[in-house]
Amino acid sequence: MIVLTPLRKFQFPVMAECISPDVFQGKSRDEIASLTVYEGNRRKKLGNLFKIEKESAENLKITIKGDVNEVRRIGSGMKSGEIMVFGNVGMHLGHKMEGGKITVHGDVDGWAGSEMKGGLIEIQGNAGNYLASPYRGSSVGMRGGRIVVSGNIGTDSGASMQKGVIKIHGKAGHFLGFRMRGGVIHVEKDVGDRAGACMTGGKIVVSGSLESILPTFTIDKMKPKVKIDQNEKVTGPFYVFLGDRSENGKGKLFASKAANPHLSSFEKLL
Amino acid sequence: MTIVKSVTCPVCGCLCDDIELVVEDGKVEEVKNGCAICESKFIGYRGEHRVLKPKIRQNGKLVDTTLQEAVKKSAEILANANYPILYGWSSTSCEAQRVGVELAEEVGGVLDNTAVVCHGPSILGIQEVGIPSCTLGQVRHRADLVIYWGCDPWSAHPRHVERYTTFAEGRFEGSEWKGYLQKFKAAAGRKKIKRVMKQAPVKNPPSIEPVTPSEPPQKMKKDGRKLIVVDVRRTMTAEVADYFIQVEPNKDYELMEALRALVRDQELDVNSVAGISVECLEELVDIMIGCNFGIIFFGLGLTMSAGKFRNIDVAISLTRDLNMRTKFAIMPMRGHFNVTGSNTVFTWQTGYPFGVDFSLGYPRYNPGETTSVDVLLRRESDAALVIASDPVANFPKKAVQHLVKNPLIVIDPHMNATSLMADVVFPSAFVGIEVGGTAYRMDHVPLPLKKVVDPPEGVLSDKEILNRILEETRKIKLKQVEAA
Repeated sequence: MIVLTPLRKFQFPVMAECISPDVFQGKSRDEIASLTVYEGNRRKKLGNLFKIEKESAENLKITIKGDVNEVRRIGSGMKSGEIMVFGNVGMHLGHKMEGGKITVHGDVDGWAGSEMKGGLIEIQGNAGNYLASPYRGSSVGMRGGRIVVSGNIGTDSGASMQKGVIKIHGKAGHFLGFRMRGGVIHVEKDVGDRAGACMTGGKIVVSGSLESILPTFTIDKMKPKVKIDQNEKVTGPFYVFLGDRSENGKGKLFASKAANPHLSSFEKLL
Repeated sequence: MTIVKSVTCPVCGCLCDDIELVVEDGKVEEVKNGCAICESKFIGYRGEHRVLKPKIRQNGKLVDTTLQEAVKKSAEILANANYPILYGWSSTSCEAQRVGVELAEEVGGVLDNTAVVCHGPSILGIQEVGIPSCTLGQVRHRADLVIYWGCDPWSAHPRHVERYTTFAEGRFEGSEWKGYLQKFKAAAGRKKIKRVMKQAPVKNPPSIEPVTPSEPPQKMKKDGRKLIVVDVRRTMTAEVADYFIQVEPNKDYELMEALRALVRDQELDVNSVAGISVECLEELVDIMIGCNFGIIFFGLGLTMSAGKFRNIDVAISLTRDLNMRTKFAIMPMRGHFNVTGSNTVFTWQTGYPFGVDFSLGYPRYNPGETTSVDVLLRRESDAALVIASDPVANFPKKAVQHLVKNPLIVIDPHMNATSLMADVVFPSAFVGIEVGGTAYRMDHVPLPLKKVVDPPEGVLSDKEILNRILEETRKIKLKQVEAA
């Protein structure tokens, strides 16, 4: 196991895609310390910024102790192993991740799990905007894996999602699941407006209140239970909306009946 | 006295190139064909706020210095910075912007232009779904349906309606100015009646205010050009429009989504969207589909209201859907005269239009991460160069606090709020008046800017100042490499 402790608080953005079990694999402590990172526009060695301790022979587990708000791309493209962070993490955590597990005991900045293909990200705190969303101009979002957030998430999360599961125990901002094509997003508390805009497939399940529903969604039926994945079902009852019809879409938006009395007017259309 | 013809106006994104200037004793004395803003720029550029000497901050005060000293100081600041910001660029020539890209690459900084607080969301929307656009010439000659959405050209781009859209006499579409003249007469008449009613109060006075019609008026069925304005308030452009749609604030996204569904012959479950009845929207869609060539111009009402770049995404998608039924185009109403140019030059040089981060040695782009306001709000930068812009007056307070805390270099013809907070100030010549160059119109047509008069003695162009800073920075960097 490798333990990284930041030597100071960073002012400039630190690009550290090398912090990944796949990169650390088979390297000695000194080799890991001499890996290249960028702090602002200066090239540095990982050992200049972090205290590196090697606690066991295998490097498949990395623990970061302390806030690394400015450190970006941790676990980028990782395929196996585990990263645990005790503190807040910067942007692009687990970007293009294919396997393994990342656990954060703190908050995470934007674009966590963006363009993710597999693996598991668990965030105990809050997550920023663009959780599991693709970068600018890209039309392919999350392609697999699972993200669990205990706190709230920002806006524009789960955009262009194709597969996988996102589970939020807190609230979500607006434009949740924009242009979603597949996969499941479950939010236990409130969701901002325009959820599921331009979606053509997949499921968004809102157990809390839904601020508003786009005029291009149409009510389909009521359902007592919804399946999130093989092991989990959420009990409702739920209003089931189909959309987004501006894209001739067949996505499903589930809104809890109990938490959304303002949607009761749709019942007469059933 | 000399008359200079076909001058391009360096004010807004319209870049009117039919301005005539009367120049006497090296000064512009008269402006013909221009709007009020154009005249104000050509006459007022020699105002009292003009800077004529480079300045440097010593003991907390800005004092005059030599150009060499200012260049040296700036180069030192930029060469030693770990994460500098190079911001502005929209009110200078493409030639200066090109040198700016070179400088940003040399110092490994964040290169950003004013689009970040203006039409940046439009660019993000375009990158998501593309843009079916055209030139303003095509609009002038062919457009029979003009929609201004969330913009007020009457106030912000005063000659836009006259030169490119409804009032212009095109080859295939005539001017509609006569109809609008009657409207203005009616508006003047209303004013008169109001005044009389004020002087002699009447019991239960009849309402003379124009009301927003609940459905498109009869004149929308007329031949010839039609003008529709969609806005949250009744602007001057809305006053002259054939049909004004008052949308609820921050509901543009819903409205356009509903229009898209109707264009695709889908039915809606609701009775009204954004305060407008669905019957009314159906008629609006009929008008849109029924035109031969429609164009949507959109402004900051769309890019900076709730939804931001998703609003542009849906506006472009609406245009795309309309193209299944008729010919439709869409265009952003760019503000600064060469903001389109800075996007074009940055894209040509780096691949990205704004918010380009060179800190890793190669260009990287991710608005929200590499854009100047976000960098400042996260307090990451340690120096800044601001050219042809005034972020201290426009940026959020917290961003400004961080901007002025670190070394700040300003290149601007005027003393503005940012120059007052700067550590080094360079006076520069006015692009399009004292120095020539190239600028891009809002429809991406490059136009030459003319040099009409000589700049004051010792005042250099933006390009020349940047070239000198770049040269000096390279020398310092070379020394640093040799020392290492």
